[in-house]
Amino acid sequence: MEIKTSTQNGATIIELSGSLDGNTVNEAQEKILPLLSANNFSLVLDLKSCGYISSAGLRLLLMAAKQLSTQGGVLLLSGLSAEIKDVMEMTGFDNFFKTFDNVAQALKAIGKE
Amino acid sequence: MFRVDLHPTHVCDCGKFRLRVGKPLPFGASIVPGGVNFSVYSSFATSCKLALFNKHEPKPFCVIPFKDEFRIGNVFTMVVFDLDYDNLEYGFYMDGPFNEREGQRFDKTKILMDPYAKAIGGRDVWGQAPDWDNIYQHRARICFDDFDWENDHPQETPVEDLIIYETHVRGFTKHPSSGVKHPGTFSGIREKIEYLKELGVNCVELMPIHEFDEFENSRPSPTTGKMLMNYWGYSNVGFFAPKAGYAATGKFGMQADECKTLIRELHKNGIEVILDVVFNHTAEGDQRGPYISYRGIDNKTYYLLTPDGYYYNFSGCGNTLNCNNPIVRNMILDCLRYWVADYHIDGFRFDLASILGRDMNGAPMHSPPLLETLAFDPILGKCKLIAEAWDAGGLYQVGCFPAWGRWAEWNGKYRDDLRKFLKGEPGMLGAMAQRLQGSPDLYAREGRGATASVNFITAHDGFTLKDMVSYNGKHNEANGENNSDGGNDNYSWNCGWEGESTDPEVNRLRVKQMKNAVAMLLVSQGTPMILSGDEMANTQWGNNNAYCQDNEISWLDWSLLEKNRELFNFFRKMIAFRRKHAVLRSRGHFQNRDYMGSGFADITWHGQKAWNADWSDESLCLAFVLCGRHAKGGTVDDNSVYVAMNMDWLMHGFQLPKLPDYMEWCVFANTDAAAGQDIWEPGQEVNLDNQEEFLVGARSVVILMGRDKPKNEVKSKKKSLK
Repeated sequence: MEIKTSTQNGATIIELSGSLDGNTVNEAQEKILPLLSANNFSLVLDLKSCGYISSAGLRLLLMAAKQLSTQGGVLLLSGLSAEIKDVMEMTGFDNFFKTFDNVAQALKAIGKE
Repeated sequence: MFRVDLHPTHVCDCGKFRLRVGKPLPFGASIVPGGVNFSVYSSFATSCKLALFNKHEPKPFCVIPFKDEFRIGNVFTMVVFDLDYDNLEYGFYMDGPFNEREGQRFDKTKILMDPYAKAIGGRDVWGQAPDWDNIYQHRARICFDDFDWENDHPQETPVEDLIIYETHVRGFTKHPSSGVKHPGTFSGIREKIEYLKELGVNCVELMPIHEFDEFENSRPSPTTGKMLMNYWGYSNVGFFAPKAGYAATGKFGMQADECKTLIRELHKNGIEVILDVVFNHTAEGDQRGPYISYRGIDNKTYYLLTPDGYYYNFSGCGNTLNCNNPIVRNMILDCLRYWVADYHIDGFRFDLASILGRDMNGAPMHSPPLLETLAFDPILGKCKLIAEAWDAGGLYQVGCFPAWGRWAEWNGKYRDDLRKFLKGEPGMLGAMAQRLQGSPDLYAREGRGATASVNFITAHDGFTLKDMVSYNGKHNEANGENNSDGGNDNYSWNCGWEGESTDPEVNRLRVKQMKNAVAMLLVSQGTPMILSGDEMANTQWGNNNAYCQDNEISWLDWSLLEKNRELFNFFRKMIAFRRKHAVLRSRGHFQNRDYMGSGFADITWHGQKAWNADWSDESLCLAFVLCGRHAKGGTVDDNSVYVAMNMDWLMHGFQLPKLPDYMEWCVFANTDAAAGQDIWEPGQEVNLDNQEEFLVGARSVVILMGRDKPKNEVKSKKKSLK
């Protein structure tokens, strides 16, 4: 798994590539958590190159979203594969996120295009 | 916060994992900071090893013996640190005595599933053939228990207000006609929530969803060649895990989340969830069966054994769970508490519940500790407890199941008496009067009330409603047992032709009989239960025991909904009528007196003559009035309801009991009338010109409602009286 961070018009974009599962979730957590507490009120998680998210991976995303929302921020997901989207819907995780087809749409939604 | 007791003290032999003594409670595998706490008990094991697997792999990547200092009493417990528990499966090796006569069957070569496993792999996708060479077939997994319920809470719908809809997770949406995205799964049901709401039911009762093996005793059908499966699933592998093959996400190990999401969404829509639970036996069968878990961990504790060490078979399935052994009793309690606390389940229906009242030698007990424990348990305090009050060992306790005021029963007598009356058997009026009132003959004792009676005409076990009016006898040849399986006391009547018919008269009568049945069910006091699919005349082509039919015989054919819209509408309006009128939903039994000064007792009996029912054996006509002023014991003011039932093959006039001057009868339903005129939306009942008598058609039910006359009319009548 690879994690790249960038900023665009004041929004932080995290691109996750590979699988987010039990093997990689700790590493991802270590990299993502510090970003949640540095006044990043708008955080886009780009998952277009993420092929698989396990149960533990989905829980990391949910935890991040909740942590961000307690600080008044919002976690946006972009580029989800149809299968991951479907799994999130069936397991009730979709309720907690705003999802977009790509980063540009996510940024547009928060006025940072 | 730093805890000193999370510090590893040992390292396993391979050096890869750090360990320490665990906590004995809770049993099973629990995620703790940095690791997983494993805890398993065995009264007789001399040693135990933990086997760790990567998901699906045939061989463990590590086997860790529980050190002597990791045993507390009869519990082996240890924390293993640094595990990737997302990709983990685990089992136990147990060593101990093997002596069949003593009931000891330890085999240290077997890998055993944790009895407290919260998720179980090995049958991740329904029907996908397993690797039979794999020595560990049903594989314990770690389950996340941090589901976000979003303020959900068990519904706690008053039991008298429930309308239960019994269904099978796979059968409900597996048929291609269901049109759902993930047929045959928890998600499939979720897609049908709007349908359930339209029908109006407020509770679904799911046939077993605990992990079972659909391949248990699988074989080709001698008549159809199709594979026969353990489709119903009344054979538990594990008690704490939802069936992975019922989840579209089972292949990702997310069945618990998918199941919980379904429950949360049903609750959001006002629909409760009752689980059909099977604590009478396990999937290990008798001495010829496999070692899955219990047999190899603590055979003598888990099973009822004969004096020479063989398995008692009160379940008809090879073994009998030793329910009143204190250890097994605790496991059952832990299990039910878990489903209530972690899955927000609203109630349980206990399969062959009489077994739960047998002692350790198999004898029925007067006050079975397990049933008492469940009745008084604080975590189960608001959930429904429903017993199938009989077992396969000959115990039949309908009306006398030990209840402590908490247990309801599947009322088998309701089903049988109503069916007999429906087919025109003479001499049924006395029994019918009891059944319509919530069976006070069975449940008035100890003040159990009408809600102790779960009323049903059909259930998964037996004919569907359509088949009940289409077949005189069962047709189970496809099950491969020479039609010897399944019940013979069906009290069914085929309306003149055995099986599917093209005769419009036969088919018209069948529709009417189905309407008669559901009309009587929904005006009966007690809690009604409807079999899924009956509302669209689903057929199993005469199979009354489709436990093994994972095919069109069992799957609900949704195309029937359009074909039988008339019947669906009748069901829907009957359900709406029941939900609207509290007079149909008493908690207690009637007092048979007028304690509200309304001029009518709470229930009064009539017939072709008002106030004068003919109770003779030859009579097939009965009518009754439920007085609206007495609704729910006089606490609610409702309309009065008059029901006339004519099961004779001739039309009869029924004299109507006279209402007070300011009221009149109006027509809600008449099963003899043509479609469109047979039933009305509640609140839109139609006027009745003749307030003296109603001609009730042959084999028909009529439901009238008492309502206030329009004010002008009352005034003008009062004037004319002056």
